[in-house]
Amino acid sequence: MAINRRQFIKRSAGAVSVSLVLPRFWMGNAALGQTIAADPNRKIFVVIQMAGGNDGLNTVVPYTDSHYQSLRPVIGFKDTELKDENGNSTILGNDPFALNPAMSELKSLYDAKRVAIVLGAGYLNPNLSHFFSQDIWQTANTSASGNGWLGKYADQKLVGQSGLSAVSIGSSLPKALYADKVVVPSIAPANGADPFALYAYQTDARFAGDKNNQLNTFKATNSRSFDSSTFVGALAKAGFDAEEGAAQLRAAVAAYTPGATYPTNNTPSATAVQFASALKMVAQIVTTIPDANLLYVQLGGFDHHSQEIGTTADNFTDKTKGQHAVLLKALSLGVKTFYDDMAAHGLADNVVMMTWSEFGRRPNENASKGTDHGTASPMLVIGNPVHGGLFGQQPSLTDLDSAGNIKFKVDFRSTYATILDKWLGADSQSILGAKYDDLGFL
Amino acid sequence: MASLSYDEAAHLLRRAGFGGTPDEIDDLSSRGREGAVDFLINFNQIDNTSMQNLLTASFDFSDFGNNDKFNNGEIRRWWFTRMVATKRQFEEKMTLFWHNHFATSSSKVQDVFMYNQNVLLRANVFGKFDDLLLKVSQDAAMLIWLDNITNVLGKPNENFGRELQELFSMGINDVVTGEQNYTEQDVKEVARAFTGWDYQRRVPFTFQLKANQHDNGTKTIYGQQANFSGEDVITIISARAATARYLTWKLFNFFVYPVTTSAADKSTIDKFSKVYLNNNHSIKELVRAIFTSDEFYSSRAFFSLIKQPAELVVGAVRMLGGTYNPGSTVTAGSRTSNTLAQLSRNMGQDMFAPPDVAGWDMNLAWVNTASMLERFNFANTYVTNRNTTNPGVFVTADQLRTMTKASSKKTVKKFLVRLGPLSTDALGTLRTYLETGDNGQPVTFVNDDATIDKKIRGLVHQIMCLPEFQLN
Repeated sequence: MAINRRQFIKRSAGAVSVSLVLPRFWMGNAALGQTIAADPNRKIFVVIQMAGGNDGLNTVVPYTDSHYQSLRPVIGFKDTELKDENGNSTILGNDPFALNPAMSELKSLYDAKRVAIVLGAGYLNPNLSHFFSQDIWQTANTSASGNGWLGKYADQKLVGQSGLSAVSIGSSLPKALYADKVVVPSIAPANGADPFALYAYQTDARFAGDKNNQLNTFKATNSRSFDSSTFVGALAKAGFDAEEGAAQLRAAVAAYTPGATYPTNNTPSATAVQFASALKMVAQIVTTIPDANLLYVQLGGFDHHSQEIGTTADNFTDKTKGQHAVLLKALSLGVKTFYDDMAAHGLADNVVMMTWSEFGRRPNENASKGTDHGTASPMLVIGNPVHGGLFGQQPSLTDLDSAGNIKFKVDFRSTYATILDKWLGADSQSILGAKYDDLGFL
Repeated sequence: MASLSYDEAAHLLRRAGFGGTPDEIDDLSSRGREGAVDFLINFNQIDNTSMQNLLTASFDFSDFGNNDKFNNGEIRRWWFTRMVATKRQFEEKMTLFWHNHFATSSSKVQDVFMYNQNVLLRANVFGKFDDLLLKVSQDAAMLIWLDNITNVLGKPNENFGRELQELFSMGINDVVTGEQNYTEQDVKEVARAFTGWDYQRRVPFTFQLKANQHDNGTKTIYGQQANFSGEDVITIISARAATARYLTWKLFNFFVYPVTTSAADKSTIDKFSKVYLNNNHSIKELVRAIFTSDEFYSSRAFFSLIKQPAELVVGAVRMLGGTYNPGSTVTAGSRTSNTLAQLSRNMGQDMFAPPDVAGWDMNLAWVNTASMLERFNFANTYVTNRNTTNPGVFVTADQLRTMTKASSKKTVKKFLVRLGPLSTDALGTLRTYLETGDNGQPVTFVNDDATIDKKIRGLVHQIMCLPEFQLN
């Protein structure tokens, strides 16, 4: 891990050196604050990272498999338990799978053929370290070296577009978006009415007349030419882009009106509100900035070594409650609300979402009502352009590796490749370094 | 004994602490290289009464059960108060190093255990590594954090056993030879050795071994077979050359410069790792060797790291002679926006809550548009905060006046020295700022009170927005 991190730092330090002294081209030709025209060719891609290792077997549940039941006598779902909060079954038609009962909203999208489930996604010789495996998924190579796969896409396709063509919501930039030629802005959500409140360059409120002098000084010192391979060069570039981009972004997103009701007041959970708020920021950006087509959000906390199900109140027995259910509800509700918002803005046909997690979890539950690090797990691809249904192949629960984990059936990069080629109009082979199967969900 | 120039002493204090005033830097410089490092390392000899008095006046941690006085916000306020006010800077900086090394988070662990772990780390910053590793492993925070309290006979939980090896001691691969340090089977066997490790559910939450939950069977670890206990495993791991190298590598990356995979750098890491192995695993001797080394004072090391948020916010106060108002008790659940803990959190470093068990990624991982705006806006908040009764940090007009000279050139130079010393070619631009009026027209620089309140505060903001200022 260490070696790769260092290589990565070196690369990206060299990377962010693009035309420091040239004026940046920010908002394309769009007039700020105006409703943007519908574009049938627009391709928006939203990536949802489920950090910590999501328990795939309790997300897309192979409930008819007797081995699933015997490996998970405590935390596994019986067929009678596969009902959502309204009593509706979450079983996927005639297929031997069900969604976790917390995922009622995603079940409705699945029934409407808007969700492709890629079963058994993973890679050969799986690494059980969170950090290494995340790096593998983010770089799309098993040595975990180099830039991010989305960064490589951005370097091919987003150069010359506005500085807001790709945006990550969160206070740190995921490695998937590390690029050579573009700086992807990351925006930390603020609490309160305006989630973009933190995203502004401030000067002394007492002396408004000095603000321009401050800004001019800032721009001059941060647009100096530095050796491209140095930290100071990367700092100047990111700093300059931050100030310029923030002003433009805030002006643009003010034109947004929500087209769906996002959760508030810690209901159903603080996590759900937080995650939905991040997706709402994505909605604000894509509905007001026509170039903004690559978005990244994160939902963390899936590392459930213990107490995956239940709460203190039920002595950790209620499978519809507990840490995993809270997170899957947050995912399901957030995605559906965002989907509805996109539909209300006439963008439902222009958006594809994809979830990923660094690994699934071990089939055999542990004594702590939790699960240890595993391997393959399902990915979800969601949106109107998606052919809904099951893709890939469910790994066998009787053919486990030496650590007791399932063996992957579909290389996760096949999902990437399908999206790159069929949705983003890119050349997946040049980005991923090899040709991967088209899974057919687009 | 090697001499220590002003710039070298400033570098030493920024790295071994958070930076200081010219008086503090001059004092270190006068002690010479070895003497200055001795002074900082043997911090117990430094009088710290003023900080203790401040802590006593500002915090009441007498009752862990009192959520109004002991909570999430309070332990953060407490640590930042220590960082800003301590005379024993190396003690706090090493505590931060170990917090990052044994990264444990309040996202899962109760505040009382986070606090206790922090106290434990501070008391053992320069001890024998075996002792520190054992104490941290037997402390409630870690037992909870990595699920060892549910690691029991017949149903091992691998979480602790894995990270003990991957993150706390050796790394997956030897940082010098590249050899794999352990196998997946070792993870399973090590986990068995720690079965039954738990803590008593009453104050002071002492470690206990639940004998009936401990696996007394034979384990095969690193090719050796025995009924290894958890203590045995920690002793074995602490003595491995891979551990010496990994710790040296981490210390270098944290305190000296980003280590590359070049043969020369591997040789450097290997060389210093011998200090650990030859001195009974003494962290103090390893750190002393590093901080007195030519590598540490090489041009490659100066300003070669990107400031961590805690270094940025604490350093801004200490270097400029700013004023810190710790404020009063933070009620449970509330966070005051101008506290150092909150500002650091906004920049990506939430103390007591690292992103995961690997700790914070350093250097470029701190750099993105969101975190840069936070850095710039922190600078603005710090220098334009004139309300001294609110909790937070500020600089008084009197303090700014001591650094404001008759000419714009001397003034800019003075502040660049105080905030680094920074070497930059932006001096002309900064002078122009001082000599530009509201309408954009040139004005003559006058060092009067009105200028200090407006342009000097603006100047400090702009210096703190320089890319050079983000470096350590």
